[in-house]
Amino acid sequence: MSAAAYEPEVRAGDSLLSVRDLVVEFGGKGRPTFRAVDGVSFDVGPGQTIGLVGESGCGKSVTSLAIMGLLPARGNKVAGSATFDGTDLLTLDQREMSDRRGRDIAMIFQDPLSSLNPVVPIGVQVAEVMQRHQGLKKAQAMQESRLLLDRVGIPDPARRLKEYPHQLSGGMRQRALIAMALACKPRLLIADEPTTALDVTIQAQILEVLRELVVDSGTALIMITHDLGVVAGLCDEVNVMYAGRIVESASRHEIFARPEHPYTHGLLGSIPRLDGTRAGALHAIPGSVADNIPWTGGCAFAPRCTNATAICREQSPALEADPTGIPDHLLRCHHPILPGTDSTHE
Amino acid sequence: MSEQTSILDKKRPDGSADILLDAQDVKVHFPIKRGVIFDRTVGYVYAVDGMTLQINRGETYGLVGESGCGKSTFGRALLRLEEPTAGTVAFDGTDLSSLKGETLRKQRRNMQMVFQDPLSSLDPRQTVEALLLEGMRAHGLTKDKTAAHARLRELLSAVGLPEAALKKYPHEFSGGQRQRIGIARALSVDPQLIVADEPVSALDVSVQAQVINLLEDVQEQFGLTYLVIAHDLAVVRHISDRVGVMYLGALVEEADADDLYAMPLHPYTRALMSAVPIPDPQVEDRRERIILAGDLPSPAAPPNGCRFHTRCPWRQETKCDTERPQLREVRIEGVPATHRVACHFAEEIQSGALQPHSVTPTIVDPDADRPRPDIVEDGAPGADPFPDARPPGV
Repeated sequence: MSAAAYEPEVRAGDSLLSVRDLVVEFGGKGRPTFRAVDGVSFDVGPGQTIGLVGESGCGKSVTSLAIMGLLPARGNKVAGSATFDGTDLLTLDQREMSDRRGRDIAMIFQDPLSSLNPVVPIGVQVAEVMQRHQGLKKAQAMQESRLLLDRVGIPDPARRLKEYPHQLSGGMRQRALIAMALACKPRLLIADEPTTALDVTIQAQILEVLRELVVDSGTALIMITHDLGVVAGLCDEVNVMYAGRIVESASRHEIFARPEHPYTHGLLGSIPRLDGTRAGALHAIPGSVADNIPWTGGCAFAPRCTNATAICREQSPALEADPTGIPDHLLRCHHPILPGTDSTHE
Repeated sequence: MSEQTSILDKKRPDGSADILLDAQDVKVHFPIKRGVIFDRTVGYVYAVDGMTLQINRGETYGLVGESGCGKSTFGRALLRLEEPTAGTVAFDGTDLSSLKGETLRKQRRNMQMVFQDPLSSLDPRQTVEALLLEGMRAHGLTKDKTAAHARLRELLSAVGLPEAALKKYPHEFSGGQRQRIGIARALSVDPQLIVADEPVSALDVSVQAQVINLLEDVQEQFGLTYLVIAHDLAVVRHISDRVGVMYLGALVEEADADDLYAMPLHPYTRALMSAVPIPDPQVEDRRERIILAGDLPSPAAPPNGCRFHTRCPWRQETKCDTERPQLREVRIEGVPATHRVACHFAEEIQSGALQPHSVTPTIVDPDADRPRPDIVEDGAPGADPFPDARPPGV
């Protein structure tokens, strides 16, 4: 892959969801528009897990909401395409979209308590999805619901069916939410920070459930997270986002072994690690996202970047193939950190 | 700068004992009240249930545990922000539990706290200047106006904020900057001990590193002692000299940071560490995970015996569910006496004489305030480690 501009190759029969140049703008009358997602493209195939990684405000959640058609009807503009199985999801109307949501594509959210209806027992909430999409009778749906709760690892599902969300612990609520998402055997699952609100031991349980799901049923999974550790153990392909754009994209082995974008590099350097030696100070990225400059006038990361030069503040970098010629390693940077030229981090 | 450190030095008794803070068997039990007219106490939440730990002067003690293990309550009880139900806390030789009113208030100058959420712990209607001066005024440190203002400037430069920040309000800052203000406020009264409760968990990864580095810098600059309470094991390992692992209200293991992470001995510590994702796919692919079954039991109805026995893959029938293990030194080659663990079978587990078995998860009600007699559990050896996650029919 030596082409200059990024044009992802379409692998026939390989891609289930194909997102191209997704742009989401917020704003209203008399207010300046804010571009939360700015030309994001990626593919995900059956049995594949891709990660969207970035810090708060980088547009990773808005990307998923736009794909699911869950952005508020007013005050935003969505452009680009999200082709799922031949249909552009962004062109569907509300009714068509709600037929697909829960059936073909499902989503799990960060905070399970606010995603569950507090006054309906969880068994009923899970059954509802199957009644709506598969036309099951209530009794039959409840029976299925029990099996699903059992599958995601909820002990004593027959009793838990009748309980309300407040009676479950955080980990169990997240499992219930996963059960709902799995009810119609969706082909694509979008998980938006599914373990951020949970303790590490519970996080390990949930990640195990997701891992099995991808392996056993070939579900495509989009994992949205800020935790590079979660990505390292779960995702086949990693997209690092910054200020609404993908700045680096590669397979997980590649991106962790050779992070070339200064931002990815900085992120990895600023995490204390549980293994290895306890070296002195962490390599923090200076400044905060408030220092960003708009992508139109240069590289948004330039004010925080140790490699930045004049060109970074004048010319917006494009997402291009890695200059050293590693296949499928894409990069949006004028001055990547290449092996041998490492100046910021040991 | 030098002026401030010298004030600090004068307060220190020469050649004093190393231990700055000594907590003995601290318990904090919250009553559970029921009833419309009469408040009947129907039970207790055993938030902290027998914590004993010493913090040496100048060190950083890291306290880790999952949510609900009582680590924050313990931190607050140390400063008497929460009244301990039992036990003693001695600060620099003074028993805090005997102090009252004005003497307690004066003592507070030496012990400050940094909170998790910087926005909700800063008054939105106060400027940074007012925020920083308030504590100093309460302790009579602002009598000399010029000295107080010199001190303000010094605090801001110590935490890396521009002087212009003094006239601004908390909402004008980013999360990381707010946490810097929180740290400056804790430093303003020139304390000896800072209890930092989840100081970085609300911040973005890149900003976390800045705040962690800052905490280390000001520790060196002002000669501080830290108790860092956090759930993130990697952060705690990075910042701490010694680490204590808490589970359901008590320590299960305590050791020097490097010793603990090199050789975790308690089954809970092992599981906790194996569950922390490491940002390196090669490590992730080959590491063995101990996935614990079920949830943390309710602190209102803690299990008998070892608190961890309901989830422990090494649990033995002999005494785990009847006899509560105390922190003890272990007889294992290469493990120093400072590495203590509350497990009956630490040696046997380490040597491999005991092998893990599967555990059936028990049902845990998050707001259970009564024991549930219907909890059944048994560990069938040889079964798969994740029995409930199989698809139906398998």
